[in-house]
Amino acid sequence: MRTRRLLFAVVVAFSTIAVAADAPPASDFAWPNLADFLKQLIAKIGSPVKVYKLEIDGDGKVDLWIQVRDKPDLVDSYEYDHGVVSPPIPVRFEHYPSVAAVDHHVIELTTIDFQRLPSMLATAKSKLGLPDARVSTIALERGDSSGFLTFSDIPIWTFSLSTPRHDGRVELSLDGKVLDADKD
Amino acid sequence: MPTRTELAVAVALALLACAPAFAADVVAPAHPLDDPAAVKAAFAARIGHPVHVLTFSFGEHYADAIVQNDAAPDEFDRFEMAPGQPMKEGQPQKSGSVDCRKQIAFADVDLAVGARLLGEARAIAAANGYSKPENVELGADVFCNDFGWRARLTSEASSDAFLEIVWTPNGASPKARRMNNDGWAKVDMKTLAAGGANVATVPPKNEPAPTPGDGRTRDFTQGIEADLARVEATVGAPLAFKHISVDKAQLSVDVFPANSKKRVATWIVASDGGIRLWREDDTIPFDCNKPFAAGDVPIAQLPAMIAGAPALIPPMAAGSVRNVHIYRSGLCGAPHVFIEVEDERGYGNVEYDNRGKLVRAEVQ
Repeated sequence: MRTRRLLFAVVVAFSTIAVAADAPPASDFAWPNLADFLKQLIAKIGSPVKVYKLEIDGDGKVDLWIQVRDKPDLVDSYEYDHGVVSPPIPVRFEHYPSVAAVDHHVIELTTIDFQRLPSMLATAKSKLGLPDARVSTIALERGDSSGFLTFSDIPIWTFSLSTPRHDGRVELSLDGKVLDADKD
Repeated sequence: MPTRTELAVAVALALLACAPAFAADVVAPAHPLDDPAAVKAAFAARIGHPVHVLTFSFGEHYADAIVQNDAAPDEFDRFEMAPGQPMKEGQPQKSGSVDCRKQIAFADVDLAVGARLLGEARAIAAANGYSKPENVELGADVFCNDFGWRARLTSEASSDAFLEIVWTPNGASPKARRMNNDGWAKVDMKTLAAGGANVATVPPKNEPAPTPGDGRTRDFTQGIEADLARVEATVGAPLAFKHISVDKAQLSVDVFPANSKKRVATWIVASDGGIRLWREDDTIPFDCNKPFAAGDVPIAQLPAMIAGAPALIPPMAAGSVRNVHIYRSGLCGAPHVFIEVEDERGYGNVEYDNRGKLVRAEVQ
């Protein structure tokens, strides 16, 4: 029952990412249907979902690393492409994972406001001065910002954008505050 | 009295003023080396605005240039030309990919000089047994130095042969160097002109011929004693090891030559039994250059150590051995056996000392 309620809450919360009528001006990026992905995922593995890392590539494919519920020292990857969720793919780390290390790194899914993504993308383009930039990757992971102000081990959205002439990267906090912007 | 080149440049500059109207119709000359001024005029018309040139590659079959927009210094474009063909629009280049920004004003690029230098480079190539170079290139070297015209000569007869000639942008002050076993060596231009730097005079690398495989497929994790004996027979002296590396498909040994700790040679045994000298280098000062012998380590126990290693690391019992290294531990201590284990989640390490005693077994 609890899982069902959570599932309902998550679907309601994320439904706007797929059909957002009041979202900021649309970009040319084909946003993946994260609501569908998470709905399928939670139906498969239950909740809560603890996110180790999330990455969306330029084609809208999603790779979500999550803590394994019954083996919390391990992390599995789930890929989402054109409405299909992959089976779990074991994630191999250079240093063997421990419960403490994974617990420290994960982000509760419910704390991630996916509705902000389109406005964050608009912010990133504006910050870089690249209004026509295309998305290379959008990633979320806990870490240290490389900006002037160092934030330690906070969840950071990293927007990697490119144009034919420039590559750029903007880091934002979960609430959309710009932490760092870099363009070459 | 203006020269032919000056007239062509004047025409090119005039074209710049009405470039947008002509841009779609720019056709490269059919014989670029015969009419370098026309090549420059075609590039000027195709580019259509004042630029500086970072590189300009020039030959009779192809030319291309990477240029920087004078009005927008973070805009770099690549323009290409094929003889007699319409020139396409420039391809934008990533600003971050342009590592070296040494450049020359487009107006100062003298393609007649480039054509002359290509002729000189070809004469030198012919006199010294190198292949005919396709082009010369105006630009800086890989370290962003020595901006000028550059010809690079190679040889089909010898993959080791490499000769480089560099001139200033106006075609003066030529200098040449060629690669040999010890690195670059300067070559006098008169020597080159006289054919005195023939490819055949590049000293061949002093490498022994590889030993062919024996047709039997090996798994080196099952034992290496027999193949170490084969390497020893190939080297012709007892093996003085610095490092032994083992995986299923390859055995690699770093050995010091007899009576020397200043050089180290790496011999590789492939899974088919083929033996070859992969490389030979100077040893690193202050590195541990104290050799050990096969008898100093429990080589015979190696297969059992390898087979049992995953089970010694509790979370990795279902893992497999990635590779094995044998070298002196710590600060040039006794030689130890280091076994690297992996499973689908991570890596682990098992270490034995020179008497075959377990030192540690843990996740990485």
